[in-house]
Parts: sequence; structure tokens; C-alpha cells
Amino acid sequence: MIEIRHLRKEYDHVTPLRDVNTEIRDGEVITVIGPSGTGKSTLLRCLNLLEKPTSGSIRIDGEEILTPGIDLNLIRRKIGMVFQSFNLFGHLTAIENIMKPQMDLCGRSKQEAYDISQELLKRVGLVSSALRYPDELSGGQKQRIAIARTLAMDPEVILFDEPTSALDPSMIGEVEAVIRDLARAGKTMMIVTHEMNFARSISTRVLYMDNGEIYEEGTPEQIFMHPEKELTRSFIYQLKVLEINIDHSSFDLPGASGEIAYYGRKNQIPPKTVMHIQLVFEEMVQQILILELGKKRITFRLEFSEAEEQARIIIQYQGEAIDMEKVKNQLSVILVRNVISDLESESVPESPLNNRLSMRIRP
Amino acid sequence: MKPRHALMKNRLAILLMTGLMLLLFCVTSAAEKTDSPAVSSLKELAHSRIAVTTGSIQAIQAEKLFPDAEISYFSTHVDCLEALRVGRVDSWIEADALLKYMCRENPDLTYIEEALSERMDAAAAFPKTDRGRRLCDEYSEYLRKIKASGVYDALQNNWFGTDGVKWDVPDREKLSGQNGTLRIAVDTSMVPFTFLRDGEIVGADVDILLSFCGEYGYQVEFSVMDFSGVIPSIVSGKCDFACGGIAVTPERMESLYFSEPTYEGFSLAAVRKEAVPEREADFFRSIAASFEKTFIRENRWKLFLRGIGNTLLITVLSVLFGSILGFLIYLLSRKGNAIADRLIRGYVFLLERMPIVVLLMVLYYIVFRKTVIGGLAIAVIAFSLVFGAAMYGMLLSGERAVDKGQEEAASALGYSDRQTFFEIILPQAVQHFMPSYKGQVISLLKGTAVVSYIAVQDLAKMGDIVRSRTYEPFFPLIAVTVLYFLLAALLIKAVEILIGNIDPKRRKPEKILKGVRTHD
Repeated sequence: MIEIRHLRKEYDHVTPLRDVNTEIRDGEVITVIGPSGTGKSTLLRCLNLLEKPTSGSIRIDGEEILTPGIDLNLIRRKIGMVFQSFNLFGHLTAIENIMKPQMDLCGRSKQEAYDISQELLKRVGLVSSALRYPDELSGGQKQRIAIARTLAMDPEVILFDEPTSALDPSMIGEVEAVIRDLARAGKTMMIVTHEMNFARSISTRVLYMDNGEIYEEGTPEQIFMHPEKELTRSFIYQLKVLEINIDHSSFDLPGASGEIAYYGRKNQIPPKTVMHIQLVFEEMVQQILILELGKKRITFRLEFSEAEEQARIIIQYQGEAIDMEKVKNQLSVILVRNVISDLESESVPESPLNNRLSMRIRP
Repeated sequence: MKPRHALMKNRLAILLMTGLMLLLFCVTSAAEKTDSPAVSSLKELAHSRIAVTTGSIQAIQAEKLFPDAEISYFSTHVDCLEALRVGRVDSWIEADALLKYMCRENPDLTYIEEALSERMDAAAAFPKTDRGRRLCDEYSEYLRKIKASGVYDALQNNWFGTDGVKWDVPDREKLSGQNGTLRIAVDTSMVPFTFLRDGEIVGADVDILLSFCGEYGYQVEFSVMDFSGVIPSIVSGKCDFACGGIAVTPERMESLYFSEPTYEGFSLAAVRKEAVPEREADFFRSIAASFEKTFIRENRWKLFLRGIGNTLLITVLSVLFGSILGFLIYLLSRKGNAIADRLIRGYVFLLERMPIVVLLMVLYYIVFRKTVIGGLAIAVIAFSLVFGAAMYGMLLSGERAVDKGQEEAASALGYSDRQTFFEIILPQAVQHFMPSYKGQVISLLKGTAVVSYIAVQDLAKMGDIVRSRTYEPFFPLIAVTVLYFLLAALLIKAVEILIGNIDPKRRKPEKILKGVRTHD
């Protein structure tokens, strides 16, 4: 139904959208997740042309909407939008906010607009607030009115731009319930959100955006349970990552150990775990790999998942694979094995650092 | 809530009036105190304090004759007179005709017999153009003729003589005007040459002028202004010529043609009599007397009424046109055209900073010099321009007060830019700028007090005219102040009725859903 190809948006100094390709099919509920500043909102705003894309194509039912001279206002009527900051019209009551656009833009009579608005107020549970002004409503109520206002225009798709980000935590639920209700009724929606549980439970498809692109997409199951790509994983598991490159010549080993200690403190990693990480770093890198490999490149990557309170270490190195059983310094191997689990060794031929060791620090 | 509010307002009004009365009392009682000694000969003036009117010939004479004296420059004769009476100055140097007239009206003053100067002529002044030359020749020819025939003396007798033949002056209404209408610049404070009596411009020079017009078939139209505006208005061609005790000096002759003298006189110095008679001490009686002089005598209230009419006309029309102008500019600026934007910013920059007097003068003497557009219309144009700039600023700040999100939401719903502005932004912006709008209306009202620079007789000018006739220094000023207060209250009320009641939040629920069956 909506087809997006090579969509790009540039400003003078930043490029929030590099190359976006996807489509929205009828009845789909798509959530867009990803770190801040990666173009999620820009994507939504390009879809209803609040921002003018620099290049690319957007087709709605086969019709290209980026053709110059097209009637923007007609297109916007097909695409509803709900904003983070509600944006209700301050001089109108709740019900007028819903009625006025219908009368001004859809040619409905006041009576028709009123009847539809009453229906919608019932649906969002705010019949009793019909004659209140926006500044007399709570954030959650305002957002529900804003949703009703959008619904009144019968849009083919509704875009939600972080609909709960400006809300008090106690009000997030009421707005999410309204959106869930719409999803059940089969409304086509695209939702940018930071509420992971909500995204996971409501969507039919999840887009993970990073760096101006759709970096990974899939079902909620795929994205939330088994993310495949590195950035998706660190986002989903809320990983804190520390990377240390050992490229010899003048590498400062005590300095690196200090860096791990600082990183641990900063991310509130339990001190015992930090000590174990330092031990793994010193024994594995210093006492085993450097001795075995000589002057080869090694990277030490530490991932700490806040959600699961778990530390994982991935070491990649150049050259021949090393079998831990045959290492000369067996004492170090024993020391390391005491604090880790799930040691895996594999070969990654596509990387310049072609060997990979991964392990978990025991809690 | 309402009655209490009204009560507060009443109290405020009473407080204000009391304050004004007290002020009046202070100034009138202060005016009676005088301790400086009186002067009786010209020699004593050398180190004394002297009053002159700005730009007058006597100002130059005083500077030359008494370099060590402390000279105060006043803009009207009333101020000079009052300064002398209360002892701020020791003497007042002025043309003999005026001073003699003043001393007759004010028994506490006298003049030093000894003249300050050689003979000094006053004459009608003409612009240095062909037409000016021709008119000047006609006027001089007429003057020579009536001086020879004795008509001149008879005319002068009307004003300076005590007995003898009086001469009938043609009625202004009955002038044929077959040879066109002359626009004459006059300063109506030039007693006894050109001044106001019973709301009419009269005086010795007016008599000569009207007789001349009767003889040569002209009609007359007076342009009343301060003396400082008289010469610019003929040099710029706004008026055909000027009369009213204008002294002939070599410097003025460089830029003007002068007719045959209309009065032959000299300068005198007026001083206080040694014994200053105690004035009426009864406060209320003196107020009543001032009131009678200011409003009742010679039907002067009509002057105030005319002044109020002009002030209101200028203010109301300027607010109206200015609002429309500001609105149009604002709509234009929303289109985002770079050139239009720069022009608008230039206009706003200029108008917000330019002194309104300068703007008035530029429009009157330069831009509309050759047109028939009168002072009143030019005042409306100038103040509309100023108000337009203010209106633009108010709309801009009103729009900024409405958060950008609502504009986006309207766009996202499918409103066009125009619809968004009129349906969503404007109704809210109005609420934001309403308080400053009222303030601007008031400051415009007060601002119009400078229109006398371009010969428009507004309320403030009428106050001055009455002062120059009654020689009441303060009462007319205070009367004018009170009238401005009332006008301001009236205008604010009008604005509130017209615009103030559109606050959408004050609507009643029935009105919001008017015409809808609510079936529950």
C-alpha cells in the first residue's frame, strides 16, 4: 500500500535518512525502534511530507507522492499523524478539536461531525470531557483526544511519533490501550516508540533503525528474542560496550586494566564481576594470546547487559587458531576457566581478525 | 465579580481626579510666589534673566545686546508671559504691538519705554518662486495704495487706535475667489496680528489680507501652525504665503520675499511692576474663573470639541488602517519571499525608530508637498504607518506564542497554510497580543499630540490656542490631560467591545454546540 524506496533526507550538516527501503501493507502494525537521532521521526515526517525528502520515492497505492505540484493537503488527509506533544488546538474544546477538521476539510455538516466525534470520544473513553479545553486535560487525555481527532478524518494509515514519550509513566497505559484497540480493529499503523514491551506486544513487524537506515527488520519475535546484527543486539539488550584494541608497538596494558575498572564503576557493574573481567583480560590477553601470537592484532570487546546484568567478552585475533588445551601457560587457562562459562571458539574468515573467542563471566 | 471590578475603577478615577486637583492647586499657588526684584531700565537687563520665543527676531536681538544675560527660550508667548509673572525671568523681549497689548491685559506688567532696536518692520512673507514674486508684487502694490489712500491707517485703527475712523473689512464668506484660493500660513498666537477670537482667526494682518483678497478676487484658506512651522510651510510650497507679524530680517530675506511692511515697529522689554498685587487667594473661586475663561468665554468649548474630533478621527482611522496594513504586511511576510521580507523588515525598522515628528514633517513638506492632501490626511497616513509597524510586531509575537506543534498538527490533518493561519493560529494569537494592542492604541492617542507641527488642530493644540488667548498657564493643560484620560478610556472600551470579546474560552457550552442535536 505504501512503498518507500531509497528515501533520503539531508540537511546542511546532518543526514538523518540515508537510504530507507520498506513498505507498509494494509492492516500492518509496524513499530520503529532504535537509538535517538537515527532518523525514526524524520522517516514518519517524510511520509506525510511535513519534511520534504531530498530524494527517493514514496508511492501510496501506486501513486508517487513526491511528484512536484501534487496536492499535499489531499495526501495528508489519507495519512493521519499523532504527535509526541499532542498538539491539540488550544482555543477549542476537546470535541471541537475532533469536529472542526471534519467540517473544514471533509465537508461534513456540524451534526455529522458531532455524531462521529461522540462515537470517537466513547471509543477513547472521554465522553465526559467533551467540553473541556486542552489545558484542562491531563497528558494522557490530551493524547487520546489527539488520536480521536486523527481517526475522525478516516486516514488510511496512522503514524504515531513517540505517542507516549511526553507522558507521565502513570498515563502511558491509557494511551497504549487506545492504540492496542485500534490494532485489534485492523487499523494500519506505524509507531515510533521507545516502549519496548509495547512494541513487542502490538506490532506485526518491527523496524530497527540506526544511522539513517533500516538496519534490521523482522517479526517482534525475531527482533526482540533473537536479534542477529550487532547494533540491534546491543540496543535490545541495552549493552554497554567497551572495546580495547591491542595493536602492539607501545600498548599500555596497565592502562587498559584501569580503563576496565573505570568502565565498571561508570556502569555500576558489581565489583566482583569487574575483578573477573580484569583477570580474564590480563590472563587471556597478556599471558596467553600475546605469548602465543607475538606481534599480531587483538581486539578485546566487553559487553555488559544492563537488562540481564551479564558480562560477555569477545576476543578476536589474527593468525592461527589457538587451542586452549595446548597452550603452554596452562595455569592461566585454569585461572580463566574458574571465572567464565560458555567458552566458544570459532573462525570468522570474512574478518581481518579471523579468530573469535567468546565467553561469559560467571555471575 | 463585575460590580467589584467597577467599584475599583470608580475609586481609581476618583483618586486620579483628586491627584490632578492637588497638582492644579500646587501649581497655581506656586505661581503666586515671586521674590525677585523688578527691573526698570534697559541697562539693568545686562545681567538679568530674559525670556524670548524660539526663532523670533527678538531672540537674536537679545543675544546681541545682552551677551551676559541668561536667556530662556520658550515656544509660545504664554510661556514667556507666565515665566515673567512668576519671576522665573526678569523681562520678556517681544515686538511692541504684542507687548503693549499684553501689558494692557495684565496690569501687573509694564514695559520699559526705551526701545531695544531701530525700527523693525513686519511684513507678509512669500516663497522665492515666480508665483511668490507675483503675489508679493500684488500685495506690495495693494499696501502702497492703501497707505496712500488712508485705508491702511483706518485698518490699523481697528486694532491699535483708541478712536478715529474704523474700516469695514470684507466678510471672508463673501469673498468671490474668482482668481483662486490662497493658502495662508498663520500662527494664531501672534496677538494682535493673527490670533483666535470666538473661534475665528482675526487681527490686524488678517484685516489687511482680507481687504487685499476682496480687491484682487481671491478666497482665503488658513493653515494654522506654530511659528516654527510657518516659514518651512511656505518655502516648501505647502502654503502660498504667510502673514502675522513676521519680522523682516536680512537673513530671512535670503530665502523669502517680503512685501511692503504691514507694520512698522520695534522691540520692547516687558517687566513686572514693582508691587505685585496679591492675587485672588480663594482656590475654588480661581478654579471657577479659570474654568469660565477656558471653556465658557467666547464659546471656547467649541475649540476643545473640534480638537477632540480631530484627535479622535486621527486615532481611530490610524488604528483601523494601521491594523489592516500591519495585517497585510504580516500575511505577505508569511509567504517567505526574500525581497518582500527584506522590504518589510526595513519598513518596520525605520518606522519603529523614527521620531513621529520627523515622519510627519517628511510626509508633509517633502513627500506630499505638491499634492492637495491636507494635514489631517497626512497625520492619518503617518500614524497608520507607525501603527502598521507595531501591528506587524504584535502579530509576530502573537504567532510565536502559539506553539509550532499546532501548526504542524493542522498541516498533518490537511489544512492549507492559509486555513491554518486563519482557523488555528490567528484566534489564539489575538488573545496573546490583545494587552499590547490596547497599549499601542493609548500610545497612539497620546502620540497624536504632535500633529500641530503640520498645521492640524488636535486637542493638545486647542489647549495651546486657549492658553495663548486666556493666558491661563495651567488650567487648559490640565483640562487637556483630563480629556485625554477620558478619550483613552473610551477607546479602550471600544476596542474591548469590538475585539476583546472574541476570547473563545468565554463561550457558553450551548453556543459551542449550537445547532446540534445532542440526543443525550
